[in-house]
Amino acid sequence: MNITQRKFTLAQAIENGGMLLAFLAFIIFLLAPAVFVFKGSVENLSVSLVSTEGGLTFDNYSRILSDGYFIYVINSLYICIASTVLACLIALFAAYGLSRFRFRGRGFVLGAIMGGQFFPWIILVNPIFIFFARASLINSHLGLILCYTAFITPFTVYLLVGYLTTIPKSLDEAAIVDGASRVQVIFMVIVPIMWPGLVAAATFGFLQSWSEYLLALALITDSNLKTIPLGLYQYFGDVQVDWGAVMAGSVVATVPTLLLFLPLQKKLVAGLTQGAVK
Amino acid sequence: MTLSPQARDRITAFWMLLPTFLVLCGFYLYPTLYNLELSFTDITMLKLRQGGEFVGLANYAEFLQSSSFLDIAINTIFWLTAASVVTRLILGLLIALLLNSRFLQNIRMTTVARLVLLVPWATPPVVAVIAWRWLFDPTHGAVNSLLLSTGLISDPVAFLANLNTVWPAITTIIVWNTTPLVAVSLLAALQTIPEELNEAASIDGATRWQQFRFVTLPYLIPTISVLGLMSVIWTFNNFVYVWLATGAGPGTFTNVLATEVYLRAFVDLRIGYSSAIGVVMAVVMAVFGALYFRFFGLTDMQDKVG
Repeated sequence: MNITQRKFTLAQAIENGGMLLAFLAFIIFLLAPAVFVFKGSVENLSVSLVSTEGGLTFDNYSRILSDGYFIYVINSLYICIASTVLACLIALFAAYGLSRFRFRGRGFVLGAIMGGQFFPWIILVNPIFIFFARASLINSHLGLILCYTAFITPFTVYLLVGYLTTIPKSLDEAAIVDGASRVQVIFMVIVPIMWPGLVAAATFGFLQSWSEYLLALALITDSNLKTIPLGLYQYFGDVQVDWGAVMAGSVVATVPTLLLFLPLQKKLVAGLTQGAVK
Repeated sequence: MTLSPQARDRITAFWMLLPTFLVLCGFYLYPTLYNLELSFTDITMLKLRQGGEFVGLANYAEFLQSSSFLDIAINTIFWLTAASVVTRLILGLLIALLLNSRFLQNIRMTTVARLVLLVPWATPPVVAVIAWRWLFDPTHGAVNSLLLSTGLISDPVAFLANLNTVWPAITTIIVWNTTPLVAVSLLAALQTIPEELNEAASIDGATRWQQFRFVTLPYLIPTISVLGLMSVIWTFNNFVYVWLATGAGPGTFTNVLATEVYLRAFVDLRIGYSSAIGVVMAVVMAVFGALYFRFFGLTDMQDKVG
């Protein structure tokens, strides 16, 4: 082995060592919080945070189950599924219209939909609170469903337009020649083809509403109507925090999102950066 | 009466777009205009039904002259937005380069790394804040026990209550939760770079840094600029992280525009004043967005949709 070769391998070893360290740091930084939450959820933590050596336990889970966390889960599921279905239905028609027809104002509508994704909801909280107070929609699931539907519709339209443009118009025309109406075309020709896209859009909408906090905080005060994000913070008392319950509740809130995220991530990135990455 | 096919199509398109149009008007446009109207009144929670009196620009004057305005502006622009967005872009780029590296492919860890990246990404912000509050806990948090055991600190630090650490701690939470999206997007962009380009540069004698600077980076700039714009808008308007991590405290030390809007409306019950702050936020973002588009020329973003 000559000297240059040895130098090369030494440099290589240092580089690989550095890369390995970076990789370990990456793993620890990204995983540690989740690991500690999970660990905390199956440990016996007294409210004063003194961890007793109790080993594995599901006490925290059974405790939150019995003291009403279950209701938050049901509320969240109901609200998020209802808003997602509603938003997908609204968006499906809009996306079809935008991808199949050329009309004046089309560019404007597309621009408004792009803008809707970036819209700061913090600005809408006051006016929506007033509308809802006057319409008796405070402390109502219907109110929250309407908000979440509006909240997720723009991005859903945006994603679906992207999918629809890949479906040739000749399919529609063939069906129309055979006597189908536009609505029939959507449900019998388009939906079966773009099913994966619809599922991706629905998953995204569900995840968005699942973790929404601000509007729920402003519009829901009745404990029985609260969603998971609000319910989780009920365990933070003024003096003490029931960490065991918080951890178990956090795991319950995150498992569905993790499962839904797995198949979705690639489509989401494509949808978000479509404009930049050609 | 028979309609031409074009006219019929136009009517169909109208009906199909109507629900979305109503949503956009009812939940975006009209509330925004109504918010503007509210900002010129002294409406409070207690007189919601009768409405408020017109007070002109008094709310704006009061906010812009208030003693806390400068602190809130600095907190929002520097700490909440600039610090976390810059950190997340740099860290996201480093993670993307790591995931794209030959080293990770050689040790067959690329898939594992991608799955790891998914964990913070899929974690809802509310849970992300909880996780870090737990790690940062002064009595039994893992960060304190680690620092104490290595002797870096001699007394536990209440990271989210200490004035010196609270902003870096909040930034850490935001970066943890939001960097994966940046990393995955940049990784996708990295993978579109033709292998031959780097090979050619290497044959021409370019160093690794030169390859990165003159071959890789130019390919990433469009993605970085889109991610930068999205990140700034999302973070600037974000309410959850600061509110749940510190409640704008200790005192009002970490108060930002978004928490100020909420506090004035739902704690002080002064909706009119709070709405004026909301309008200020919208104006700042509109100006920023316009400058950004001008600078980076992203006007073709929406063309890609149709």
